[in-house]
Amino acid sequence: MNATITATDSLWRQEVDDAPVSLSAAGDLVAIAGAAGPAWVLDLGTGEVVGELALDGGSLRASLSPDAQHVAVTGPGGYALWRRSDGRVVTAATGLWSQAAAWADGRVAVASGRYARVLDADGNELWATEAAASTVTDVKWLRGGRRLAVAAYGAVRCHERHQASPVATYPYVGSHLALAVSPNDRWICSGNQDASIHIWRSRDGDELTMAGYPEKVSRLGFDDTGRWLAADGAPDLTVWDFSGKGPNGTAPRLLNAHETITALAWRPGTLGHLASGGADGTVALWRVTNGRPEARQRPVRTFELSDGVAALAWAGPQVLVTAARDGSIEAHRLPDRNQL
Amino acid sequence: MTDDTTAAEATDDRVPVTVLTGFLGSGKTTLLNRILTEQHGLRIAVIENEYGEVGIDDALVLDAEEEIFEMNNGCICCTVRGDLIRILGALMRRRDKFDRILIETTGLADPAPVAQTFFMDDEIASELRLDAIVTLVDAAHVLPHLDEVKPEGVENEAVEQIAFADRIVLNKTDLVDEATIEQVVSRIRAINTPVEIIPTAHAAVELERVLDVGAFDLDRVLADDPKFLTDTDHQHDLSVTSVGLDVEGEVDGDRINEWLGGLLRTRGADIFRSKGILAVAGSDQQYVFQGVHMLLLAEGGREWRDAETRRNRLVFIGRNLDRDELERGFADCLMTAKVAV
Repeated sequence: MNATITATDSLWRQEVDDAPVSLSAAGDLVAIAGAAGPAWVLDLGTGEVVGELALDGGSLRASLSPDAQHVAVTGPGGYALWRRSDGRVVTAATGLWSQAAAWADGRVAVASGRYARVLDADGNELWATEAAASTVTDVKWLRGGRRLAVAAYGAVRCHERHQASPVATYPYVGSHLALAVSPNDRWICSGNQDASIHIWRSRDGDELTMAGYPEKVSRLGFDDTGRWLAADGAPDLTVWDFSGKGPNGTAPRLLNAHETITALAWRPGTLGHLASGGADGTVALWRVTNGRPEARQRPVRTFELSDGVAALAWAGPQVLVTAARDGSIEAHRLPDRNQL
Repeated sequence: MTDDTTAAEATDDRVPVTVLTGFLGSGKTTLLNRILTEQHGLRIAVIENEYGEVGIDDALVLDAEEEIFEMNNGCICCTVRGDLIRILGALMRRRDKFDRILIETTGLADPAPVAQTFFMDDEIASELRLDAIVTLVDAAHVLPHLDEVKPEGVENEAVEQIAFADRIVLNKTDLVDEATIEQVVSRIRAINTPVEIIPTAHAAVELERVLDVGAFDLDRVLADDPKFLTDTDHQHDLSVTSVGLDVEGEVDGDRINEWLGGLLRTRGADIFRSKGILAVAGSDQQYVFQGVHMLLLAEGGREWRDAETRRNRLVFIGRNLDRDELERGFADCLMTAKVAV
């Protein structure tokens, strides 16, 4: 590799006793979900464990509330909520697949089988969507928590609060695996099992398919500005430019560092800084504004974890938290918020 | 077709996955319990359709509700099982590794999306390999199921499950006489000529005959299959049959690719399984393929031995197969055909 391999400024390193599958950071906390079901809440400053919970049958995702007061852990057999004030854990062993959760305005939307359920922070159900065509694969809030986008087979459907039936349906025959919504709510994008990204303009449902990926697209996300959408689905990360009229007719930037991408996370801020992780343990840091469309670019820098990268999360613009498959969790400090 | 997987195949440490199909009452649960309780020292994960049917220490039993997804890739019969992609994906992320994975499907399930999942999802294919489709058949009750006439457009699931099988466990042979067993075996062979049939009672089958048998391993295609090319001319009355071809000579690589590709593209909905070993002109290696509907795995196999006759052996299992058409199509791929044209 041409890029510099630099030892990072490690804040702390912590071991957890499982294979991590998901990381979430907010405020002064970091939450980690383990594949077999345990989850931990760590203090961002020290790495000390401040909370623990577990789901029977495994975990898939940990989601911290933006105020860092609650954690939702979702898994193949249900979900659980952890409350910071007293450490209380509410578990819903529904026997239904819960792939994802999303917080907004003190409430959490949880995928639960073919439904999305919106709960208050203590786990009381406020409302639920009607059944989707298949198990719900992702949920994302729009309009500051007033509208919920739900992905499942065949369509992404948007629900207004307390309305079981959708107010907008964005159909596309295929298995939608992951959702990304631009920060201004203008674009709804799904990564698909059929190796494509499907894009709708939310206003009128005008649609676009980015096909030709060699593999399914299961991770994608917008940066804070909403200009850039990064996605897996190939050894190269693709970054689409949504400025102006959107990406129609454009070519993506290609970020080349991994054989198999296992994580991606935009750095908070407006600089187009991205972190990505690979199955081989490489973490790469990118400045996507460096490149040109269609051109392959190399990372600004890379560093290696002790095992394959399981998850990445930014805790503010200056701390990148990494989880490796072997259970090591590390907080890396980036001294300059404008530099990688 | 690609032949770049030979090196990877040499050290295949992917976890073998067995698909267990069969009608209710055929003995699937008995076999599953046998597999889970026998002292084999293997860690086994079971994905099944109902909770609580089996539950054994040391084994992980996961529940799956069948979700069939179409793939938007222009391949009309290409469907995958979304529930399996999800469950297997989660299983692969766990630290505890399993030696075997068993997928139990209901008697009504179509085996094709299950098999196609292993062809279509790269993440799954990177760590797991489809080992074999094992179908349990109740010797005492299968004939009426096979004879059942379904409305137009509706599949006879019993026929389909036999057509897809790599191994058939012919269970409950203690409940029927020899003549019935012969009749059942002959009906099975009429549908799926090359399949290995294991007669048994109380699902007492040796595990090594159904687990990790490598039925989808291209090296082993045909290797242990003496009945592969039984003539099937007399079974034209059945809608699902096998057609085997055994032709000496060498084929033109381009023409065979074109013919096989076109055949599966146009007739893939009707062709459940296909496999074969080909002698391609100009190559010292055998060329091996294995398919489910329109999806095909193909690669270079072992080298031809010095004194060995170059020949091509293929089998197609499917609906409304026309032996003459297949023979003619294949004959056009033979090198000698070039002279004739």
